[in-house]
Amino acid sequence: MILAALILTISTAMFFFYFQVACQKILGRQFNGGYFQSIVNANRLEFPSLRKSLEEFGAPVDYPRLRMMLKCDFLALTYLLKNAANVNRRYSNEEWLLILYFRWQFLSLAVRRLLKVGEKKAILRLISVLQYFANVVGQRVNKVRFGNLSAADYLLNL
Amino acid sequence: MDSNIASYVLQDAGIFIEAALVLYLAWSSQWKRQGAVAFYLTSLLVAQLTRACVLHEFGLASLRYYYVYWSTDFLLVISAFLAVCLFFRRVCLREEKKWRLIRFLLVFLSVLVVVISGLSLSLNLNDFFTYFIIAFNQNLYFTCLVLNTLLYLLLQYIDSTDDQLGLLVCGVGFQFAGPTATLALLHLTAGVRFAQSLTFSVMPLCTFGMLLLWGYAIVHVKDEATQVSPA
Repeated sequence: MILAALILTISTAMFFFYFQVACQKILGRQFNGGYFQSIVNANRLEFPSLRKSLEEFGAPVDYPRLRMMLKCDFLALTYLLKNAANVNRRYSNEEWLLILYFRWQFLSLAVRRLLKVGEKKAILRLISVLQYFANVVGQRVNKVRFGNLSAADYLLNL
Repeated sequence: MDSNIASYVLQDAGIFIEAALVLYLAWSSQWKRQGAVAFYLTSLLVAQLTRACVLHEFGLASLRYYYVYWSTDFLLVISAFLAVCLFFRRVCLREEKKWRLIRFLLVFLSVLVVVISGLSLSLNLNDFFTYFIIAFNQNLYFTCLVLNTLLYLLLQYIDSTDDQLGLLVCGVGFQFAGPTATLALLHLTAGVRFAQSLTFSVMPLCTFGMLLLWGYAIVHVKDEATQVSPA
């Protein structure tokens, strides 16, 4: 009985540990060139400014506004992942995992806020997912040539 | 009913992905280099197809399907253990001394699991098969989970540059952790309906998660051998 309880606790913890590690490994992928910047500019995404304020200034952020900013950027980027220069019009394997990871971290942010522990870490993890998505979209759009259209112009036509 | 349908959809999607990955490994001549992956994927494919055939023939509520499901699960967990052993071999390819020590540890652990499970089973001979599922499979899943975690820690310790192996190990961790937790829950709750439903849902979900991750690792991430000699 005790052994089963111990196995249950350890296995559940390990499950979340492996999920976290797998997502961090995917997020560690290097992109040649700052693809995400053009996507941020074209769509007026807010996560880079949010990261800057957290990392450099350590400024306190209005929590409801923070959640709204992250949610809006997430919705915009997931739409672009599916529809921008994507022939199959569906998410890839790693995108599904990262979307799940983002939702899990978003949920845990609320819990961390209540417990007042590790909030900044969770926000930075969420931002890293958004940057990855922006890089993927930027890389795809960069590969597609539409005459003299820039990435921003292409995305405005979507 | 809805959870059964979802479970079947996941299983069928899993079979499709497994077949696709096996074909990809054969087509891209990675069969030998990805020996552990190829071995486990083939075992999964055979087990899933067997279950699907028996399910189609005899139905979900049949005793035959029950025995086939858990017997194939037993064979799968043995395959998974062997796959983890092959991953250890891949890490220690250039270090024979380390491999000899690890091989001894792996053999010792497998004997330990058999002995501990044998003792539990000998005390429950009246319901041998049910206890066999819960005790032996749970113990071996947990052992595989612990071994896989040790493998992950070994990769961190030697600062391995094999990113692909890191992702494959994470996938295996997914595959083991979920079923281990639900089997332990099944044991603790003496097989209540909720725990049974959860077990039937979580297992294909974890396999599906592992397949997604392995698909990404095999197709998009280069292994160490390719990084060293891309030609």
